[in-house]
Formats: sequence, structure tokens, C-alpha cells
Amino acid sequence: MSSHATTHTGHDAHHDDHHHNPGFIQKYVFSTDHKMIGLQYGITAMCFLAFGFYLMMVMRWSIAYPHQPLPEWMSWIFTDGWKARWLQDGKVTGETYNMFGAMHGTIMVFLGIVPLGFGAFGNYVTPLQIGAPDMAFPKLNMASYWVYLLGGLIMCGSFFLESGAAKSGWTNYSPLAGFADGQVVNQWLAGQTQWLIGLVCLITSSLLGSVNFITTIINLRARGMTWMRMPFFVWSMLVTAFLLLLAFPPLEAAGIMQLMDRVVHSSFFMPSGLFTKSEGLADLSGGGSPLLFQHLFWFLGHPEVYVLLLPAFACVSEIIPANTRKPLWGYKSMVYSVLVLGFLSFIVWAHHMYMTGMGAAVSTFFQTTTVLISVPSVVIITSMLISLWGGSIRFTPPMLWACAFIPMFGIGGLTGLPLAFNLADLHLHDTYYVIGHFHYVVAPGILFGFFAGVLHWYPKITGRFMSPTLNHLHFWPSLICMNLIFFPMLLQGMAGFHRRWYNGGDAYLSKAADSVNVFGNTVATHIDMNIIMSMGAWTLALAQIPFIINLFISWKTGKKVESDNPWNATTLEWATPTPPGHGNFTFDPAVYRGPYEYSRPDHEEDFIPQWEEPKKPNTKH
Amino acid sequence: MEIPYIVTPRKDTGLFNSKIAIWLFLASEVMLFGGFFSAYVFLRLGADYPWPERTLPVLPGLINTFILIGSSVTVVFAWASLKMRQWRKFQFFMGITIACAAIFMVLKGLEYNVKFHHQAVRLNDYTVIEGHLGYEMEDGKEVLNHHGQKIEENQIQVETSGLTFNIVRFHKPWVEELLSQAEHRKSKIVLAADVSAITDEGKPAETLAKAGEPLSVELLSRLQESHLDARSHNGAVRTAELRKEWVEAKKNNPGKRGWEVSSGVNIDADTIAPHVLTEIGTVAFKVDPPAMFDFKPRDIQEGATQSRLRDDTLVDGKMLASPMGLHYVDAIDFRHLAMKAVEKGQDPMVAVENSWLIKNHPFAKDAWEWNKGQVAKIEKELLERHGVDEKTGKAKYEPTAKERYRIGWKEFVAMADEVDRDREEIAIKEEFMGPDYHGREAKHTFPHLELPREQIRFASKFTPAWNTYYAIYFTITGLHGLHVIGGALVLCYYLFFGRKMYDTNPEWLANRVEIGGLFWHFVDLVWIFAFPIFYLM
Repeated sequence: MSSHATTHTGHDAHHDDHHHNPGFIQKYVFSTDHKMIGLQYGITAMCFLAFGFYLMMVMRWSIAYPHQPLPEWMSWIFTDGWKARWLQDGKVTGETYNMFGAMHGTIMVFLGIVPLGFGAFGNYVTPLQIGAPDMAFPKLNMASYWVYLLGGLIMCGSFFLESGAAKSGWTNYSPLAGFADGQVVNQWLAGQTQWLIGLVCLITSSLLGSVNFITTIINLRARGMTWMRMPFFVWSMLVTAFLLLLAFPPLEAAGIMQLMDRVVHSSFFMPSGLFTKSEGLADLSGGGSPLLFQHLFWFLGHPEVYVLLLPAFACVSEIIPANTRKPLWGYKSMVYSVLVLGFLSFIVWAHHMYMTGMGAAVSTFFQTTTVLISVPSVVIITSMLISLWGGSIRFTPPMLWACAFIPMFGIGGLTGLPLAFNLADLHLHDTYYVIGHFHYVVAPGILFGFFAGVLHWYPKITGRFMSPTLNHLHFWPSLICMNLIFFPMLLQGMAGFHRRWYNGGDAYLSKAADSVNVFGNTVATHIDMNIIMSMGAWTLALAQIPFIINLFISWKTGKKVESDNPWNATTLEWATPTPPGHGNFTFDPAVYRGPYEYSRPDHEEDFIPQWEEPKKPNTKH
Repeated sequence: MEIPYIVTPRKDTGLFNSKIAIWLFLASEVMLFGGFFSAYVFLRLGADYPWPERTLPVLPGLINTFILIGSSVTVVFAWASLKMRQWRKFQFFMGITIACAAIFMVLKGLEYNVKFHHQAVRLNDYTVIEGHLGYEMEDGKEVLNHHGQKIEENQIQVETSGLTFNIVRFHKPWVEELLSQAEHRKSKIVLAADVSAITDEGKPAETLAKAGEPLSVELLSRLQESHLDARSHNGAVRTAELRKEWVEAKKNNPGKRGWEVSSGVNIDADTIAPHVLTEIGTVAFKVDPPAMFDFKPRDIQEGATQSRLRDDTLVDGKMLASPMGLHYVDAIDFRHLAMKAVEKGQDPMVAVENSWLIKNHPFAKDAWEWNKGQVAKIEKELLERHGVDEKTGKAKYEPTAKERYRIGWKEFVAMADEVDRDREEIAIKEEFMGPDYHGREAKHTFPHLELPREQIRFASKFTPAWNTYYAIYFTITGLHGLHVIGGALVLCYYLFFGRKMYDTNPEWLANRVEIGGLFWHFVDLVWIFAFPIFYLM
């Protein structure tokens, strides 16, 4: 016992020296406060998202207008030297398109969505919702952010190398990725190598983050915060953290092996007798397995899908009850579903590999598990939908996005079903259908969930609301443009458009005018859609401007909140001061009930916060 | 602000924070090494070459196993001593643990070092020869290169008369290497012709460098700068012109789609000609007088009269014979050759006897004949001991492929000592470090071979490049070694900087040592898996 007392004194003395009046750098840059780290994650991730979006705009130009020089309004960002290296007479070359494509995917997935969902929302909200003063390991939390930033900068810095950034797709399959940039003598200065180094940084970052999240959720819950009183948000983050913890390491193993292949010329993923046009017979021992890389990659790759998705589920499932003034429908079944989802996501990976010739037995197993995993997803999304039923819905700005999330994610999910089946996948594999499917999940699905989250927690972070007018200017064009871009992809894919055509099918048309014909749908009949889709993409970029303005302007001029709980919500983060200080709570938080006690008939107000002490029953009667 | 449960466990979970964290971290580590061990299984099952079974010296590995297990025990004693508040005992046991880690790493380092100096060659017919690269000799003495180092007999030699550099991609250290080789051979590398270029719009071409100017990195960098400037400028000119053409094309073809008119939209070379600057691209040098240059085999794509370096430098000149000299050959292995023969439906024994090596090197032929005799003896012994399988009518046990087709250094020793296989005398040091080449030189135990370049399919030191077995061996044991080092550093921190915490909060220090110890057990566990799969199986 005495030992405990000594900690206190020892630690408090330490406090006085360093923590009470942190300087600018300590408060905003090298902060150990989970909220500041959450904001750092959020801002950095949004910058990466914008950059990834930009890469896509250039690609969409090449698809829609393959023979025309990139217009000034997109190309002004490059220096003349860079343009001379990567554009041919101002046109996007195949090599450049590949580079942008690979980096678009990598940036959006690893540097944009995951850090935004898990790093930003998870960091900011999770400790508040469980009544913790901070993360269990604040310094590790800080390290996690900085390693992430380092990884991101290494990856994006490779754009400025002579070899350029990675060009072998975001999946980075060997042997293609093993050979790419092989002509660079100093392999540490090759984009393809830097991709791997960046990836190892990102995996380290998510390892630190996930260990921290799980420990915090297990050990730092407030009094009375039992497992089944945790908001669904926290459950989602817990499962996400487990996915990151266990699914990422096999990819790290693959990354290290590919790094060995590149730097010390081993043949982990290089089969015997590899022959390339430029180098002839490869000077390698051979005997390796390209399939091994795919297995290790997708062992991460599939759980990664849920790492992207669950934080969006988390945000939406908080916003819906707060705005329907109804408990979340089927909270318990949602919790069990998310656990089952987490488990199943580890055994579906090879449905990305039907075309590799793994064998019918293996394919059958993975088809079965893939169909199984749709059950918990549907349970969750249906629960959200039913939660709307009979509620008196307040269409607040976050609710607008949350309502759009449900059908958009629905389309994304349902279009995935045909891909789960070997037979249908045979036709759809590597077509734009796949692109349409997963972009419906990620862009109008997950991103809409995050926009909802930003609007929902913004008043807690800044003490002000974001402008509803600007939000309308953001929301409606975004909704329309997203569908304008991604719905035609589904059609094009079914008509046989290959996902990696850098000129949108134009070269294909000129070489093989009538080879693909799917019930009358041909490349020729669908190629004009490219232009509409690209226009949609560029308009979508414009539609983000009101959001960016809103984000900054409302910080200073938005409508002030009148209380610490402006949405009259029930979960613990609304019990903190606005904005919450270092250490979060001004009282010792305790929890007395479940997370979604809205509109109880025996209660005057339409919500009872988790922290409100129950009134003593009147014993005189 | 105070984070709770750093020292004392939370009541309902019974755990302090870092204990949860270390178990989670170890779970993640299990998945990481799980990935590598699955890769081992995948590569071994899918190998299209004979997997090198039991190829590593068992003794050092075995000793390392016991050292690690021992250290896992002492780290627990160290923790228990802390719990009992016995600082001296803690120091003692922790010291032993760290010393064990150090011994482990030293043994590992010795093992690695032997591999990194051991050469393997796979010939075109899949004969594998293992040995050591010899050094270039002249009059019985080793020749030193211009850096004062011995030259390994594994160089591609080109009688070079000219060099053409890719002005963007040339690799500076290689240029410097070429310069110093030229100086060593008393030759000069000079510009073959004047380099002149238009460097400013509308001005006449100016001479940037004169013929005869000596090669230097500065010269190449200067030309590179001019080239890159011209490239950017021309890119901008061409882009502007193409844009203009497109504006016109759209005006002239109203209602038509871009891809319908694109074939007619081209940059007019005459229009832009006055604005274009000269892009230099490549620069040719001549070597005067022509001299022999050495290149590492991996850096060069050799051709009879012109070769290309990996940085796109063209090397003009005749490639010389460039044989590989193997000294102290310590294994001849026909397993891969036999496997290929069986795949083709041929008799493996005939294939071996027809191999290039047997036909060209009497030592190999003698060794093969001697080994055939030994295999016959083993066959006889097995037949006597185990008898015949009644169903098939064949011997129950047969010699392994390794016994049949691989003649390793212990067989060489037995042959030289004129004893039977496995009767040879091997010193303990040899069990650790491999054969004592010099000590056995008197009996000509280990031959020297010269291999013509065109017979070599693939050559490498025993590094990850040699085959997937060594690749996964080095990756797993290397990563494991990094874990040993990392773990030992943390334990060192507790040992040398723990006293202050011991005085103020010994329980906290005990907690730390506990999680350090848990990690140490994990490191031990990984080795328990790695040792059998690499050394014994």
C-alpha cells in the first residue's frame, strides 16, 4: 500500500515540473492528450484524403480525355521538371497513371480512412465515452501518431524520386512489385522500396494504437461502465483494434519479405524461370511463391475492409439514437454481430483470389464464409434502419449524413454479393464493377459516416456548431456526384471495362472493337459514361469546398453551444466541459444505465444520461 | 491527471495496464511470426528444388537453445528476487540473463559469418557446387586491386573501349569506381566527341564540353543539369502546342468526341522547332587506351561486344572469359540435377554421370565413384538390418537422396583419410565453424575448380539470395535476433537504471520486469520453433 502512496508523490512532483502549463509545442505538437492526438490524426488524415482525391482527379482526366494534355487547373501543382518526367507532351502516361492509381489506393486506405476513423474519432471519443482520463499509454499514443506521419511522408515523398512512387497497385503483388524499380541501383531510393518502408511504419503505428485502445477499454472504464453499458461506438472501436492488432502483422511479414526480395535479392515471391523483356532471365534463385504474397496481403486486406467500415458504423450508431430520440434498436444483437463480424473477417480473405486457381475446395470454403459474413453486416445495418422507425427524427446536419449513409452503404454491400460467388466473380473480377462496389462502401458510405461524425462532435471539440447552410451546400452535391461517379462504374464493369485501363477503354476499342459483348453491353456503348463520371468527380471536388470553409469558419463564428450537451445525448462524452480539458472529467464519472436511454415513458425529459444518478425511490409510500 | 492501474491491478479485471498491453503485443507478435512460419511451410511444400534438410551445424544451434531456455529461467528468478525485495539477487540473475543473450548473439554472429563467406554455384545442368571464392593470383601471389583489397574470382571482365552514360540515371559511385579502375590500369576515360546543345531559346548551339575532356562526376552533373533544363522547357513547349492543336481540333469537329478526332491531333514539329532546346540524353566516352574493367556479375547484363550496367551505362568492348575460381570446394550436390532428370523421365544416375562437372573435373569423378561405393555399402547394410518389404519385393529402407547425390565436406574428409563414411575424425571446432581447410590441405581434401562463366546458371554466397530456404532462415532468425537484442536492451535498462525506481516504487519495477520477462519467454518460444524447423527437419 505504501508503494501506491509513493507513486502519487513521486508523480505529482513530476507533474508540477512539466505538465501544468504546457508550452505551445507540448500542447499542440508533441501532445500526449488523446484529444489533441485525435485532432492531429484527423487533420493529417484529411490532408492525405485531399491529396488522394487529387491523384484520382488526374486519373479521371486520363480516363475521360486520354489524348489531351492535362489542363492547367490540375497541372499547375507540378513543377516543369516533374511534368517533363511524368507527362508526355502534357498527357498522362500509362506509367504515371499506374503510379497515381497505386498511390491513390494506398493513401486513401492506409493514410486517409483508417487514421480518420480509428486514429481521429477513436482517439477523441473512446476515452470520453468510457469515462477515462486519457488513453492508458499517452506516450505510446503520441508515438503512434508520429510514426504514422513518418510513414505517410516517406510514401508520399517518393513522388519526388527519379523512379517515382510505387506503381504496382495498392495490393503490391509480386513478382510485378518485386521487379518494379529494379533498375535503381540504390534500392533505398526507389519508390517501390519506400512504399514498403512506409508500410512498416504504418503497421507499427497501428500496433501501438490498437494495444492502447484495447488496454484502455478493458482497464479504464468508469465505475458502473459494464460491458453491456458501453456505447456501440466503443464496441466497434474494440473490434477494430483487435483487427488491426492481429491482421496487420502478416502483411508486415509479407512487407519484410518483399523488402528482402528487393534489397538482398531473395526469391520469397519470385518463381523459378522468371523472364522479363528488359532484363531477360532474372538473376534470382527462384523457387518462391507469388501466391504466398497474395495470401499474406489479403489476410490483412480483408479485415482491413472492416477496419475502414466499423468506425463509420460507430459514428452513425451514435448519431441515429441522438436524433431519433429513440434507443438504438437491437443494441445487443448489434454488439454480438460486430463480434461475429470481427471473427469472420479473418477467414474470408481468399475471396479476393478466386482467379488464382487455388482449387475448388478452397474456393468453396471461402465462398461459404463470405456469404456468412454478410449476415452480421446485415444485422447491423438493418438495426440502424429499424432504429429510424417511429422516431421523431430531427434532421440535424449530422443526421442528414447518417441517413444517407444507410442506403449508400447498402448499395455498396449488396453489390458485393455477386463477387462473393466464384462463378459471378469469374466475369466481374478486375472490372470496374469491383471498383464501383468498394467505392460505394468507402466513399459515399464510410466517408459520409465520418462527415456525420465531424458534425456531431464538432460542438464538443470547439464549443460551436457548424453552419447548416454550408452543410447543405456540401451534402446535396456530394450525394449526387458520388452516385454519378460510382453507379456508372457498376454498369461499365458488367460491360467488361477493365479496372486498370489508363485510357478508359479507348485503346481497347481501337484494337478490339467488338470482342466483349455482354447481353448487348459493350465497351463502345459505355465509353461515353467516362466523361460524365469524370465531370462528377471534379464537381465532387468543388462540393468539398463548403465543408472546408465550414470546418474553419465555424471554429470562430459558428453558433455557440448553450450547454455541454447540445444534442441532449446520453453518452459520457457530453458530461465533460466544452471543450474537455486535459484529464477530461471535472467529476469522478460513474455510470448508472445503458447508453441509449431515450424517451423513457417514466421520465419527464426525453433522455436520461448515463451519468445521471438515479433518484432514490420514495420509501414512504 | 493520473492514469489509474499503472502499478496496482484493477479489481474486476485483476490486471494492471501494461500486463494487458504486453499480452496484446505478444498476440500481435504471434501473428507476425505466424506469418513467417506459414511462409516457411508454404515455401517448403511448394519448393521446386530439393529443400536443404539438416544442412546447418546442429551443435551451435543446440547450445543456443539451452542458453535461451536457461535465460528464461533466470529472468523469472530476477523477477522473484525483486518481489522479495532482494536487489543483489535481482542484479545477479538479471546479469546472467543478459550474458546469455550476449552469448546467443555471438554464436549467431559466428554462424552468419561462415555463411556470408561461403559460395554456392548452380550450373546450367543443376549441379550445385559449394566452396569459397578464390582470389585473383599472379605468380603465386594474390593481386590487390586499386583499393588495396584482394579481388574475388567472380568478376565480369570487359576489355573496354567505350562507355556511354545515361545522363539522368548514371550512378555516381559507379562512375567514381570506373575512374579509379581506369587510373589503376593507366588508362584515361575521355569525351568521345564535342557535346554541343542549344541551351537558350533562339540562340545557336554552344559547346558544353570538348572532345577529350576527361570523365568526371562534375562533368556529367553539369551536362545533366543542362539536359533536365531542356527537358522541362521542351515539355512545356510541346504541351502548349498540343493544347493549341486540341482547341483547333474541337473547333473544326463540332459534336465529335475526343477519341474520334485524336488521331488527327499532333504536334507540328516545324512550329515548335525554333523553341526547342537540345536534350542531351546520353554521353559517349572513349577509354584510351582500351583497358580491362571488372564488374560485379549482378551489376551487369553481359554481352559479347556490348554490355549494359544496371544504371543504363553501355560498356563497349569484348567480354573476357571471366571464369569463376572456386577454392576449397567443400560439397558437390547432384540432388537438384537428379530431381530435374526424374521430372524429365530420365535415369538420374545416368544424368549425373553425363553432367558437365563429372566429365570435366577428375576430382568430381573420383568423388562420385567413391560415393557410389559408399552408397552400395549403405544399401547392403540397410538390407541386412531391415530386410525386404514382402509386398513390393524391394528393400524396406533405402539410402536417402542426400546420401546418394550429395558429397559433402565430411565425405571429402572420409575419402581423403581413406575411411568409410561417418568414420572420419572431425574436431569439435569443425563441428562449429565448418571444415579446417588449411589443416587438411596436405591431403588435398578440398579441390580447386575453375568454372567457365557460360556454365553458371546462378551463383550466390550463402545469403538469402541463394534459395528460399536460406531466405526464410535468415529472415526468421534475423528478426528473432533483433528481438533478442531489443529484449536485452530493455532488460539492461532495468538492471542499470532500475535502482532509482527500486528505491521509490519497487512494485512498479517488479511489474516492468514481469512484462520484460514475458517478452523474453516469447523470444525463447520463437527459438523453440525456429530451431527444429531450420536445424533438425
